[in-house]
Amino acid sequence: MSRKYLLLILFCGILLAVPSIVRDTFYLRIVTEAFMWIGLAISWDVLAGYTGYLNFGHGIFFGVGAYTTSILMNLCGWSFFMTLPVSALVAAVVAVIAGIPTLRLKGAYFAIATWALARAIQQMVLVASFTGGPDGMRLPPFLHPGFFYYTMLIVVGGVFALNWFLLEKAPFGLKVKAIREDDQSAMSLGLNPTKIKLQAFLLSAVPAGILGAIYAYWITYIDPASVLGDMVTDQAVVMAVFGGLGTLIGPAIGAVIIFLFKTYFWAYLSDYQVLYLIILGGVIAASVVFLPNGLWGTITSYRQSDKALKHEPVSSRSDDKGDPHV
Amino acid sequence: MELLPQALIDGLLIGGIYITIAIGFSLAYGVMHIIDFAVGEWIMLGAFLGYYLNLWSALDPFILLPAVFLAFFLIGYLIQPLVYRVISGKKGNPVLMGLVFTFGLGLMFRGSALTGFGFYSHSIPSAISQNSFFLEMGGMFITIPYVRLAGLLYALAVTMVLHFVLKKTNFGRAVRALSQHREASGLMGINAKRISSYVYGIYVGISAMTGVIIGSIFTINAQMGGEYSILAFFIVVLAGMGYLPGVPWASFLLGLVQSFFLIYLNPSYTLMAVFGILFTILLISPKGLFGRGV
Repeated sequence: MSRKYLLLILFCGILLAVPSIVRDTFYLRIVTEAFMWIGLAISWDVLAGYTGYLNFGHGIFFGVGAYTTSILMNLCGWSFFMTLPVSALVAAVVAVIAGIPTLRLKGAYFAIATWALARAIQQMVLVASFTGGPDGMRLPPFLHPGFFYYTMLIVVGGVFALNWFLLEKAPFGLKVKAIREDDQSAMSLGLNPTKIKLQAFLLSAVPAGILGAIYAYWITYIDPASVLGDMVTDQAVVMAVFGGLGTLIGPAIGAVIIFLFKTYFWAYLSDYQVLYLIILGGVIAASVVFLPNGLWGTITSYRQSDKALKHEPVSSRSDDKGDPHV
Repeated sequence: MELLPQALIDGLLIGGIYITIAIGFSLAYGVMHIIDFAVGEWIMLGAFLGYYLNLWSALDPFILLPAVFLAFFLIGYLIQPLVYRVISGKKGNPVLMGLVFTFGLGLMFRGSALTGFGFYSHSIPSAISQNSFFLEMGGMFITIPYVRLAGLLYALAVTMVLHFVLKKTNFGRAVRALSQHREASGLMGINAKRISSYVYGIYVGISAMTGVIIGSIFTINAQMGGEYSILAFFIVVLAGMGYLPGVPWASFLLGLVQSFFLIYLNPSYTLMAVFGILFTILLISPKGLFGRGV
């Protein structure tokens, strides 16, 4: 146990020291963006993996957060840190509005509704005047890579810790999993499925809104295609499914692998950018068919069955895969 | 006021096409309980097959419809076992996996189409594209392009044939039994796998044919899929998921909403209106306008 904590502290130390080790801004930028994708993938997985509701419009919250910050900073002259809570709040409001009618229903309705909402919001931002329409918005530049690295690290680390605590340690995680497995029996135990699903949706949407806000200030230019387009959702889905739904570490691993692949691909094969869509689609379809538990789920189930065979009598071996992996 | 009859007629003509966007999709949902996120991509692929066949053979797109249907029926029939394997798997959550799987297929199709067909818009010229039909009633003019009328007739024909097949043939009886109760129909000797393959083939075939019609009325491009997926979802939710008789009414309603927005308001707001209606329906009557959805 103490070795585990030691490793954790070492890992945190390395993460904190990255900006002083990595002097090259290009690589620091890649690491920062990798954090952002980890945040998006794990926040998508909170809803998909733990409650079984697929949000095909996760980019909404990212985009809404980015636009809220840009509008407040540009038109109202707020400082960046003041806009963050507002971005989170706006993402939460959108989640509540979208979630109330759809989270009562089966997952298919939710998937359709979030998908449609993403397009409706994109359209709205394109025609509205205060968002700059298709031209997008520029933000006051703040060129300090280290600042964004630490902001992203704190937010994503905080989200990870919060999810770990709520979903793996606190009773909330058990409630959420009970609803995923069978919401009728969960209801008979006195749980209110819609309320808990809505809470999980908020836990998924708010971090995406905050990440969007940081992204907007970091990149200093946003337009509907870059922050509200399908790409944000598509990549988050692929990362989480490839890494392993219903775990915390799985989507993070998936995010790092897919993001590094994307960076490499766009750097060396930029003439074939649309091929990237085919590869994303192929990865997601293939991992559904061949790795239904994702990369991490498959690894841990091998490890578990290995351990179980060595140390336990076969009769007491359980088949469930619900063991919390952190 | 003088535009009102035109708005109504346009809405009905467009709504007709929307029937065929959604009816196969609703049928597939009823039988297999799968939401196919690639529905718009099948329409797009069908449209491009029609476009290239038309370039190559110079035949009218309406004559090419059976060929497109056959080709895509075969593709759907061959792809279905994979979908079936995903949605009837033991591991994880199969319904969820079905959604993710078709989402991935859709991405792949869109990427391949962008690679293969490029970003340009095309249209599929038909011999009747140029001509329209003019009506004059009490000082009000109504224009009905022949090609749109042909589209409506095509949609009605497809709906009629589907209705006949489902109600009068043994195959249709098996399909209806399967959508009512999977296990019980299995006990009655219905081969769920084979019937599902046929249904999926029919759905993909109808969607692809509709793509060709869309290409001869509007334009097609490799990115059109999402737009039509959203329309299909809207219609199917409005009609009640898997409830086929509701599909035509929902389609006509969508057509009317669209044509009214086009003529009286700003067409940019159509998508928001569509979403607003979808949201209200989900809030008030999630089983659709008729309360008959699955």
